[in-house]
Amino acid sequence: MTTLHQQIAEKFLAKLKGSKDVDVGKIEQLRRLLADSKKIKADEFVRIFSQSDGGDIK
Amino acid sequence: MIKLESVHIEEVRGIRKLDLVFGKEKFAISGPNGSGKSGVIDAIEFGLTGQMGRLTGRGTKGLSVSEHGPHVDQIRFPDAAFVELKIFLTELGKSATITRKVSSPKKPKIEPGDADVKAVLAEIAEHPEITLSRREILRFILVEPTKRSEEIQSLLKLDEIGQTRGALNTAQNRLQTFYTSMTAQAKSQRDALTRHLQIATPRSEDLLEVVNKQRTVLALPAIMELTTDAKLDAGLSSAANLSGFNKVSALRDVVAFAEFAKKFPGLAKNEAAAIVADLAKLEADPTLLAALQRRSFIEKGLSFVDGPVCPLCDAPWQNTDELREHLKAKLLKSEEARKLQESLLKNGTIIVERIIGVAGLLAPVLKLAQGQGDQNFAQLLTLWKADLEDLKTKLATVDRITGLKKRLERDWLAIPEALPKSLTAFNDTLNAKPDQTAMLDAQTFLTTAQIRLSDYREAMRASKAADIARLSAKAAYDTYCAVLEDELNALYDKVQKDFSTFYRAINEDDESKFTAKFTPSEGSLGLDVNFYERGLFPPAAYHSEGHQDGMGVCLYLALMKQLFGDRFTFSLLDDVVMSVDAEHRYQFCKLLKTHFPDTQFIITTHDRLWAEQMKSAGLVTAKTSVAFHSWTIDSGPLVESDNEIWDDIAGALGKGKVEAAAAALRRHLEYVSRLLADQLGASPPFRADGKYELGQMLPSVLKRMKEIWGKAAEAAQSWGKAADKKTAVEKKTLLTTCNGGANVEQWAVNTAVHYNAWANFGKRDFEPVVTAFKELLGCFRCESCESWIYVTPRVSPETLRCACSAINFNLKARPK
Repeated sequence: MTTLHQQIAEKFLAKLKGSKDVDVGKIEQLRRLLADSKKIKADEFVRIFSQSDGGDIK
Repeated sequence: MIKLESVHIEEVRGIRKLDLVFGKEKFAISGPNGSGKSGVIDAIEFGLTGQMGRLTGRGTKGLSVSEHGPHVDQIRFPDAAFVELKIFLTELGKSATITRKVSSPKKPKIEPGDADVKAVLAEIAEHPEITLSRREILRFILVEPTKRSEEIQSLLKLDEIGQTRGALNTAQNRLQTFYTSMTAQAKSQRDALTRHLQIATPRSEDLLEVVNKQRTVLALPAIMELTTDAKLDAGLSSAANLSGFNKVSALRDVVAFAEFAKKFPGLAKNEAAAIVADLAKLEADPTLLAALQRRSFIEKGLSFVDGPVCPLCDAPWQNTDELREHLKAKLLKSEEARKLQESLLKNGTIIVERIIGVAGLLAPVLKLAQGQGDQNFAQLLTLWKADLEDLKTKLATVDRITGLKKRLERDWLAIPEALPKSLTAFNDTLNAKPDQTAMLDAQTFLTTAQIRLSDYREAMRASKAADIARLSAKAAYDTYCAVLEDELNALYDKVQKDFSTFYRAINEDDESKFTAKFTPSEGSLGLDVNFYERGLFPPAAYHSEGHQDGMGVCLYLALMKQLFGDRFTFSLLDDVVMSVDAEHRYQFCKLLKTHFPDTQFIITTHDRLWAEQMKSAGLVTAKTSVAFHSWTIDSGPLVESDNEIWDDIAGALGKGKVEAAAAALRRHLEYVSRLLADQLGASPPFRADGKYELGQMLPSVLKRMKEIWGKAAEAAQSWGKAADKKTAVEKKTLLTTCNGGANVEQWAVNTAVHYNAWANFGKRDFEPVVTAFKELLGCFRCESCESWIYVTPRVSPETLRCACSAINFNLKARPK
């Protein structure tokens, strides 16, 4: 059974696809983060959003 | 999820050794207070989750499962305390056994140890809310909206969602601050470039016009397009050897800095004053300061919670959730401090922007001073720049801002006293330098332009990246909040509807139009309920305490339904049903039967009547209920069984223990007579203290039963149902016969002739008494389902029934 947390995460990621401000790479990383971790820290979000194209190659 | 097949408990809480068979059915455990019912609940909860709710929460400081879970005589031997549960996993269609020792609550032995079995049991272990005790039910009803929101969100496992939202919010705030800083940096670099080029804006066309003029002087080809890899000083053979000093540009930098320095006294004056005012508030109210200091401390602690040990003080907790809730509650108390914190950081960020502006102008002058070998001036600027960098860092956190009051009260920039003089002297030094040749001027102009263009480009890239990052974070946060709000509203709407439906089901006689309304807002959840269609009010405004309790149970059931859906197959209700007032118990049983047909409720009650009513209503049966009649520290709960009472009495008589047999019979008669008086609507002589004697109760029950059989016979006669009439007459006759044997009616006449004399009987004297009462009580039971018969409704009864309806007599005669 999906928890409410998972339900919200799925809808959040689906809705985020329609945002011009968040690219596919970041959405994929958010998906992994939300699936893997129950207690997400702000630093992890900062790291994802700070990547210019969702990747981490410089 | 699961259903319980059986439990074996040893040396846990007040239980020495106990086996109960639940058979996956709804089950009732009754018994007086202190008879060990809650010990069974504790043990089952422990077996499933490794926790005991009774040893956690408010008012339980100093209690723990490890120390207080074992029987008091086994504290030193916690290995002896264990629970073995046989469980049926409904979705997997198989049974499993889980054995958990108090000495190692986190390491249950699970057989079979299949991954899917372990997964289900791990899920259950994360849901201590499967147990609801009486003291907990009002936590959803009579609490502040903020607390209710916390309670409900905690029960629905919304903590993780709150954590995610909070982390997204912190991320977007941090990235916004970073963007502000990067923008200020880019502006400084842009100003440095445009100042050097003497153009108003950094447009490519204007830039190339100025640059190409200088390139013409050097006979270098013009740059036609400012591509990303275009070098403004391309073609300069000796570019690498040039100092980069361009006198004209250098003087402009110094003048720009000197001009800006005139504005220093008014720079961010309002923001600095606002911070000073906020800091004064903190000084005036030490509790606010403490709350603020704690807030930061607790926020940090909360972010480090990853187990049931406080990361701030190393204190052990029963579970992680409880520790987290404790810290969150402390954070809530400092709401005023939070606003102050926001204000301090907001004004601090503006000052940081100004510092970046100052540093942007200071940097080229410092570079010039170093290049020109003016060590003193360079040292002065270096120290000041370092001081400003330090101030910038301090302004980023509340902890550090609190130490800046004195500095912010005066010249927060802390301009070095020697700056004006040194700046003028440095300007004079530069002015005194001979003018550069046109060639050198052009060369250094181009090298400086290239350096500043590169710096500007770099700053722009950084600013752009920061912009993308903060826009991403903001979009993500806004989206998450929007989705969360929609989902929570939908969830609360469903809970609200189920809650209203359940409450109406219990109170259909007088509140059939009951409705409830949740009002969710950020961090709180209001609840209003309809009071007899007079409007919506808080639950405690007009409803009685009994009704409020009923609301608590209904809201719990609605929340559990929402949390588990069809998987809500198991729940422990510890003395919760006592919250339902006497008038609505049958409806409550009906609610559990009809709305939760597949949920196994294990229900305890200290009211034996309630336990019997559960049987009469068909919620449980004689086989799926048990009564504890007393408890001793050495034996634990003593189980009473209706079915086995006669065997117990016979056993006592067999050992010649007439006194024990008489006591058992007396207790049984007391219990049954009270039950039957209630179920049949008997009228014993009223006693204001409610302490009815058996000698008053039982005769009134017999009288009432005879009346009812008489009514049944009359009604059957009037409807022409000869067979029913015959049965009713036979039952009445049998009752009279049995009553004669038991000689009960004499008790009402002469109270001296009653059970107290039994204790002096011999075995042979007492055996006929037992036989007589067994036969007499048999007149009140259904032979098929073994439940006690009852009338409905109790006032002006219309029907006589048993739980299985094998007994079903109409009591209303055909109208003439």
